[in-house]
Amino acid sequence: MWRVIASVLAAFFGVQKESRRQEDFSRGGAGPFIVAGVLLAIVLVALIALVATLAAG
Amino acid sequence: MRIRKRLVWTASGAALAVPVSGALASGWNMPVGVTDLSRDIHGLHMAIFWICVVIGIVVFGAFFYSLFRYRRSRGARPSHFREHTTVEVIWTIVPLLILVAIAIPATATLKAMYDTSEADMEVLITGQQWRWRYEYRGEDVAFLSNLATPREQIAGQGKKGEHYLREVDEPLVLPVGRKVRLLLTSDDVIHSWWVPELGVKQDAMPGFVNENWVRINEPGTYRGQCAELCGRDHGFMPVVVEAVAPERFDGWLAERRAAAAEAAMGLDRDWAMDELMERGEQVYGTICVSCHQPDGRGNPPVFPALAGNQTLMDDRARHIETVINGVAGSAMPAFRNTLNPVEIAAVITYERNAWGNETGDRVQPSAIAERIAE
Repeated sequence: MWRVIASVLAAFFGVQKESRRQEDFSRGGAGPFIVAGVLLAIVLVALIALVATLAAG
Repeated sequence: MRIRKRLVWTASGAALAVPVSGALASGWNMPVGVTDLSRDIHGLHMAIFWICVVIGIVVFGAFFYSLFRYRRSRGARPSHFREHTTVEVIWTIVPLLILVAIAIPATATLKAMYDTSEADMEVLITGQQWRWRYEYRGEDVAFLSNLATPREQIAGQGKKGEHYLREVDEPLVLPVGRKVRLLLTSDDVIHSWWVPELGVKQDAMPGFVNENWVRINEPGTYRGQCAELCGRDHGFMPVVVEAVAPERFDGWLAERRAAAAEAAMGLDRDWAMDELMERGEQVYGTICVSCHQPDGRGNPPVFPALAGNQTLMDDRARHIETVINGVAGSAMPAFRNTLNPVEIAAVITYERNAWGNETGDRVQPSAIAERIAE
């Protein structure tokens, strides 16, 4: 679980270790990554919206 | 060797400094302007510019140094590594921090620009092909601001004046030190009201009312242009703002209000042919001339000829209707809200009697006022 979130966050940031990438691709399917990706994208949007609201307020 | 190195650095430093300081002094740069906001905008612009310069020097410095220092003729061998997480993280974090550092003051300035509250007065600015209309809201003062550059200069038949294409017959007069809310809209296509010294560039769009504001610190004349391609005479609808002391502004506004009241009185009386023709020629020369041409021959088929136009001469009611309400689906706009009844009556009279259109008709302002009121 934590590994999936860490990998999705690394993807958001744009930098991932090759060794981690290899591990991610050797275990199970893409399902958990897609779900975590969608959820974290929603969190990111909400976070940016919050910052924007605070800045405008 | 050391001397040579220093020489290279000094020379490259000078090579960079000369064009930069030259560009800043030449007037090519954004002006500092005469409002607190335009100063903030200029400050942001320069701060971001210098950040970019430093980034450019660091990035290209490293680039050219590496090219030179590790060239193949000196036996340099490339290293073959696929990734370096630490370096990648650093070159992602550093730009992120720079962007956030830029975003904080930029957001503060944007917020100030959007705060149109607590204005001392309001001016409605309407863009039209191809002039601006200014209305001092709640003051009964409104007028058109037309290009004042003589046609001969534009046609290349005269020496160009100092403010060529940046001069108008009636500037927008604003008081220094008061917060003025600007409401912008358009009667036809999208225009953009731009005065660099005031730090204002705002689109004027049909069906929308955009807001901006300005508080001018220094009296003076500030010039700008339409900044949104709006048709044939886009380059011929400049903006001129005259900033004056508040007392002078109040005096000017009272004068304009009195003049507007007087113009309204002209409706009661019968106007003589000479007065109508004189006024009409003046209106034609500022409003109609850009499409229908000085000789009334127009530019068919888009802009029909008025000179020798049989329909125009035979059908007086239709002529009046056309000027008041325009022609749907054509380039002819409605002038009912743009010109006052005196101006409409005068220009119709002029068109019916100029260039050999000798109908002898007089159209009275009172008749136009009645027609508009219907």
